[in-house]
Amino acid sequence: MSQMSMEKPWQRWLIRFGVFVAMVILTVPGLWVVLTAFRPNIEVLARPAVWIPQQWTLDNFARLFGQSDAQQGLPVAQYFINSLVISLTSTVIAVVIGMAGGYAFARYRFRGKATLFLAFMLSRTVPGVALSLPLFIIWARLGIIDTSFGLIVVYLAVNIPFTIWLTDGFFRQIPVDLSEAAQIDGCTAWQAFWKIEFPLARSGLASAAIFAFLTSWNEYALASQLTRTTASKTMPVGLMDFTAQFTVDWTGMSAMAVLIIIPALVLTFIVQKHLIAGLTFGGVK
Amino acid sequence: MAQVRLDKVSKSYGKLETVHGIDLEIAHNEFVVLVGPSGCGKSTTLRMIAGLEEITSGKISIGDRVVNDLPPRARNISMVFQSYALYPHMTVRDNLGFGLKIANMAEAEITKRVDEAAEILGLGPYMDRLPANLSGGQRQRVAMGRAIVRNPDVFLFDEPLSNLDAKLRGQMRVEIKKLHQRVKTTVIYVTHDQVEAMTLADRIVIMRDGHIEQIGTPSEVFEHPVNIFVAGFIGSPPMNLLDAVVSNGKARLSDGIEVPLPAGMAVQENQEIVLGFRPESLAPKGHALHGDGAALTLERTVVIAEPLGTETILFVEMGGMDVQAKMLNPRVVAPGETLEFTLDLSRLHVFDKASGKRVTV
Amino acid sequence: MTTTTEPLSRPGFMEGVAAFFRSPRAVPYLLLLPAMIVILAVVLVPLLVSFWTSFTSYNLTKPATLFNFVGLRNYQRLLGNEDFWWAFGRTFMFVTITLNLEMLLGLGLALLINKITWGQRTLRTIMMFPMMFSPILVGFQFKYIFNDSIGLVNNALFDLGLISQPIPWLVDGTLANFSIIFAEIWMSTSIFAILLLAGLMALPKDPIEAAKVDGCNPLQVFQHITLPFLMPFIYIAMTIRSLDVARAYDMVRIMTNGGPAGRTELIWTLMTRTGYQNSQMGMANAMGYISILLSIAFTVFFFRKLTAARSFMGGAQ
Repeated sequence: MSQMSMEKPWQRWLIRFGVFVAMVILTVPGLWVVLTAFRPNIEVLARPAVWIPQQWTLDNFARLFGQSDAQQGLPVAQYFINSLVISLTSTVIAVVIGMAGGYAFARYRFRGKATLFLAFMLSRTVPGVALSLPLFIIWARLGIIDTSFGLIVVYLAVNIPFTIWLTDGFFRQIPVDLSEAAQIDGCTAWQAFWKIEFPLARSGLASAAIFAFLTSWNEYALASQLTRTTASKTMPVGLMDFTAQFTVDWTGMSAMAVLIIIPALVLTFIVQKHLIAGLTFGGVK
Repeated sequence: MAQVRLDKVSKSYGKLETVHGIDLEIAHNEFVVLVGPSGCGKSTTLRMIAGLEEITSGKISIGDRVVNDLPPRARNISMVFQSYALYPHMTVRDNLGFGLKIANMAEAEITKRVDEAAEILGLGPYMDRLPANLSGGQRQRVAMGRAIVRNPDVFLFDEPLSNLDAKLRGQMRVEIKKLHQRVKTTVIYVTHDQVEAMTLADRIVIMRDGHIEQIGTPSEVFEHPVNIFVAGFIGSPPMNLLDAVVSNGKARLSDGIEVPLPAGMAVQENQEIVLGFRPESLAPKGHALHGDGAALTLERTVVIAEPLGTETILFVEMGGMDVQAKMLNPRVVAPGETLEFTLDLSRLHVFDKASGKRVTV
Repeated sequence: MTTTTEPLSRPGFMEGVAAFFRSPRAVPYLLLLPAMIVILAVVLVPLLVSFWTSFTSYNLTKPATLFNFVGLRNYQRLLGNEDFWWAFGRTFMFVTITLNLEMLLGLGLALLINKITWGQRTLRTIMMFPMMFSPILVGFQFKYIFNDSIGLVNNALFDLGLISQPIPWLVDGTLANFSIIFAEIWMSTSIFAILLLAGLMALPKDPIEAAKVDGCNPLQVFQHITLPFLMPFIYIAMTIRSLDVARAYDMVRIMTNGGPAGRTELIWTLMTRTGYQNSQMGMANAMGYISILLSIAFTVFFFRKLTAARSFMGGAQ
């Protein structure tokens, strides 16, 4: 970073100011929602606006889980469990299937390889909204609409192409020599994979898993059409429960938003390093 | 007992054949070096012996077993890779013991063998380190250790020293030689460096374009290269090779210099030949290895002098080319200086220009 | 493989297949088989179904209409429908405007952060903040912030004395379009910034120093060295983004749902309204096909640019 020293002080301050403004714009909207989740409704609706919270409350969260006297609780606990079950199950299966596929692309030469890879990636470009229409028709006929199973299968298809793309990159980074050395050391190809290549790819696979989880956790377009009741509704779909034609329960929605964002926040922080690497090297190298 | 036999072994990728039906027999406990320029098929050959590449046709046997269809793990071989291929997530100890653990050997026996190998290679202080925390030379040693603990029938080395700097390479060369003397096993060693080949090998196999050019002991391939390629490849600095025409039992160079050929050489008048002599066969008078017996005296002007300490390499013009001469017990020589050189006529190499083959007496 | 030309009934065929799956050549295909089955079942088959329904008058309320073949009628009606063309054009503009602005803002942000030595990691982490938000949350967040009576923006403008009447951010057609574009940019600029920052950090020092020695001023260095080097990164970000441009649907769905009076209607919101609310599945699927082609067109466009930029960079590295 040797260029740094050549800037004049006013230029440095201008840069810092620009970065500061950008960071404010990026963080304030989200923080404002988080703040709202812990404020009573009256304060949020007050005119003139109350900027500094006078009162903190967990009532909005209690309301979500039906613990409040004031209002009938919403089945948010059930939504949360649905989301968790659907996201976790589809993630585990997608990573196993995607890893097998990524390994095939990274390690083998075979006929139709390039075409197949392209086909997987193209399948990812189909917008969820557009796919939801035929899936709605077929899932209804198969009787798996509004079931966790139905949504899990859909999320597999959403996550597998990206998992293949990522794991292909991770396995490519592991020299073939290592697997060969292991086979000379007495391993079968299967042993060589599990004892050498899998442990080395583990951190990459973990971030692929987190990507898959976040995609499922945050997905709305497909879930909104393929789920109907508490049997399978996920958190993002449940969020819409709060909006009626003319009224919106801002504090309740904010509290639910916080519940959606917390797992995403934690997981994104864990993978942030891999996130960048994963996105870049696959394309550039 | 583990001799290795290759019978008309060839390798094709689709329509492209890269190894063309080679035959090779390696004796028990012999140290054989496959050497040649990159792309000559030496590594492919080694990988076929290891079982990492399928054999397109032919037969490979180790001991008295044909191993064509055996996976690497069933061949009782070990291999040192160019990249060392150490398992990055295992300590040195675990790297060394991995193969034994896979073979379900008892813990105590593993420890004993690993410690033995560590002792031989001086790895004691590093046993609990990860490969990332080792120097290049140490990694090299671990790779060799991993190969020897398993007590294999055959040791395979794939350019093991090419990632080391020149000084370390020299040291490791000596260590490999010592190791072979201590752990008697059949060794097949691939390199592109002819110095490594000369210093390590019992026998050298020189390959080019998927064919074997010559098989012989270091002194055989050095003293009696069978063709121009081998002559130019073996030896450092390389042999001087000059185009010439036979005239009256002499080789006439393009600048008119006539070099007498040994009597009884199977050449015909006006035959186009390539005349070869090593730099040490051409020296300024009084600075030569050879006597003045059967020598040709020439006056030549020095173009460039490269002092190397105990000797100086002099570039002089001859036959329209810069040829190298070796000056022992050197004094300072300035470019442009004209010196009297002697050429040792008893060490001439003559090749037929058309076929490239050596012409014998 | 020659056995595949034989009729299925011959025993040789099945044996040939069985032999192939036991041979080492089959390994990659076997590894990919589960992935292929899933994509086949969840993407390919539904796409065929939706392709079929786009040629029928299928109405959700009348199941029998699924087999009422109407040829190209749905497409003809769509092409003659003004609402559709507005939504299509608006979607195209929306994607073009947001992708370009995100790229420019992301580049600017990356360049600024690259100049900051202290706390760069923290800044990068903060920058990832919007990436954690599900699009539906982004939509909710801006629906709240742009709310005319209690929203943060209007409240702030009020208290600063800049306005006396609330600005109808989501109620006025033009402002609503501005608002959804703003929300989309907020959500996705970080992807560009982070990828381009990674590119800037990987930028080799030698060519820059060589250019300086050759007498380039900072602007020329940027134009001739930095920017060409960043191009592959820009196209990667563009490709990744164009893969899921349609997630803007979630956001718009909650913010305006196409309103007011269809002024923010995108092809995706129009499609779901037609399919689920009006039950005209055949028509909706025809629209779905057009939206799929649009997505693929954007992705392929940037992917080809990426391939070109990558081979161009190959020579320099």
